[in-house]
Amino acid sequence: MPICSMFLFSLEHINAQCLTITVLATFNNQGLIMNDTVYPLSDNHRIKFESFKFYMTNVVLENNNQPVWIEDNSYHLVDFDDLDSNQLCIEIPDDLVFNAIKFTLGIDSATNASGVKGGDLDPSKGMYWTWQSGYINFKLEGTSNLCNNPKNQFEFHLGGYIPPYNNAQQVNLSVANPNKFKIIFKLDKFVNALNLSEVNHIMSPNQFAVDHARSAARCFEITND
Amino acid sequence: MPVRLPGVLKSRMIKFSLSAIAFLFCAFVVGDELFYRLASWPKPSYNFKENELTKAKTMLGRVLFYDPILSADSNISCSSCHSPYNAFSHVDHALSHGIHDSIGIRNAPVLINLAWQKTFMWDGAINNLDVQSLAPISHPAEMGSNISQVVKKLNRQKLYKKLFFDAYKDSIATGEHTLKAIAQFLITIVSYNSKYDKVMHQQAQFSPQEQNGYKIFKKKCAACHTEPLFTNGDFVNNGIGVDTLLNDLGRMRVTQRKEDAYKFKVPTLRNIEYSYPYMHDGRFKKLGEVLNHYSNGIKQSETLSGKLKSGLTLSANEKVDLMAFLLTLSDKQFLFDANFAYPKEFLSKQ
Ligand code: HEC
Ligand code: HEC
Repeated sequence: MPICSMFLFSLEHINAQCLTITVLATFNNQGLIMNDTVYPLSDNHRIKFESFKFYMTNVVLENNNQPVWIEDNSYHLVDFDDLDSNQLCIEIPDDLVFNAIKFTLGIDSATNASGVKGGDLDPSKGMYWTWQSGYINFKLEGTSNLCNNPKNQFEFHLGGYIPPYNNAQQVNLSVANPNKFKIIFKLDKFVNALNLSEVNHIMSPNQFAVDHARSAARCFEITND
Repeated sequence: MPVRLPGVLKSRMIKFSLSAIAFLFCAFVVGDELFYRLASWPKPSYNFKENELTKAKTMLGRVLFYDPILSADSNISCSSCHSPYNAFSHVDHALSHGIHDSIGIRNAPVLINLAWQKTFMWDGAINNLDVQSLAPISHPAEMGSNISQVVKKLNRQKLYKKLFFDAYKDSIATGEHTLKAIAQFLITIVSYNSKYDKVMHQQAQFSPQEQNGYKIFKKKCAACHTEPLFTNGDFVNNGIGVDTLLNDLGRMRVTQRKEDAYKFKVPTLRNIEYSYPYMHDGRFKKLGEVLNHYSNGIKQSETLSGKLKSGLTLSANEKVDLMAFLLTLSDKQFLFDANFAYPKEFLSKQ
């Protein structure tokens, strides 16, 4: 009996196609290393990252602008402190042809308004605001000598689902080689667009949060390495 | 010398008298043993489909509500601020102390009939009862913990392995299950058995004074404190004026719209006798002060409710009658309901 069910299980596994998408963060074209590594910025400034995570949701694969696969229950928390979390397994049918991937950076309004969820959406993942309802879509924390506060800290908690500060952003990327591609987030591009000496603390839904989320959405790219 | 009843007999007698009350009233009460309400009430807004009520989940939630394990130093439970004997509000405390953001500058509201509420907190910052508990658990001046730490602590306790298994067929505590169980318990806290309710269902009669108070209430107060829940769920500036030290912007903090400045949720008036002090910052100690406010203390401001712009004149006699009516909203059975009480059988301390 146990042998039989093991056999069935492995059969099932072979039939289900898992498209593994790796999501990487890079800084100056090098893979991001959190916590210890100090990265140089211009004019003798430096930056260090302590926490970096975001939600990728509503993943859709398209072929020539037509959706060919819409992932069910599509919520992925990508946490660069948890290496397992940046390998997304998207179950797709055999022989699916696609040349673009679309996703939302953040959590849609309906999900935000409908209470507690489990899995990647469990509030114990640290991506839910507590004093006001709603998910944090994108969280980046660290230190830089550009930040003019006692501990030189920056904290970007970007989120919000009530208009006009609806924070979730759509990201569309074309995929030239669907058999071999990775999604990268160019963290240096995001950091260079910041004004850390003036704005280093965004903790609630507002226009700053929306502007920074838009900027983050522009930092995704596809690589075929 | 009074004869002492043996414990078992005493509890039977209490059960008997409770069921006698229930019997008298039962034609108008609907629901199962977990969630009673009056048949004439509107439909609750809580989504029972997403979080179906069960006895085991409610019990888990009740134990969590009374267990200080939810706070960082294991000293404070939900019931520290929401005591059942004060209709689940804070005994005699206007504000929690010494911090700068919202919850610490506010008075703990009653927890009554939450299944009918669409948003929570004085400014409606919380959009769903299932996520409500995150706020006190994480607040530095309240429980000062966070949900991942709470889940870790729960998973180290035998008691909770059993309770979580009974509730969710999974002995491992998760954030989702912890929060949902507390919400389930909160949902069951319903007050429907006041003298007012009995009068409405021809089970009792108002005194002439209460009757006159009811008339005044319908004319002057019911537009906001709407029957039968005694709130219309709106956010309103009722003219108490800003405490300049706290400068609490109310609803505007959530919507960021100027026109929402100093608006707060219209609170229910059920069990108002027990939930002093009053208003979002607990500025009035006595109900009499509240009535004086409405009759001659309304402060004009840009966002003051139109209904209060020209004040609500109340003569001294009218105030006395109105007060008599407000006291008919007290529900003693609710205050001492064993289903909401400290779960001795699970939590041994005190
Ligand atoms: C230190 C005191 C304190 C503790 C501990 C506390 N609360 Fe509260 N509670 C408050 C205050 C103050 C408010 C109002 C906050 C606001 O409006 O911003 C509140 C509001 C609420 C509300 C909203 C009620 C409404 O009508 O909108 C609910 C529900 C609630 N608390 C449940 C809980 C639960 C469950 C716990 C335990 C997990 C808890 N509270 C622990 C003080 C406390
Ligand atoms: C225009 C709407 C409005 C009207 C009319 C109104 N109220 Fe209120 N009432 C409110 C709001 C809003 C609050 C909460 C305000 C705050 O805390 O800042 C409140 C608070 C209260 C409280 C305190 C409740 C608590 O739990 O702290 C009492 C008691 C009360 N009202 C009684 C009355 C009575 C009696 C009348 C009629 C004489 C009345 N109200 C008329 C809107 C109204």
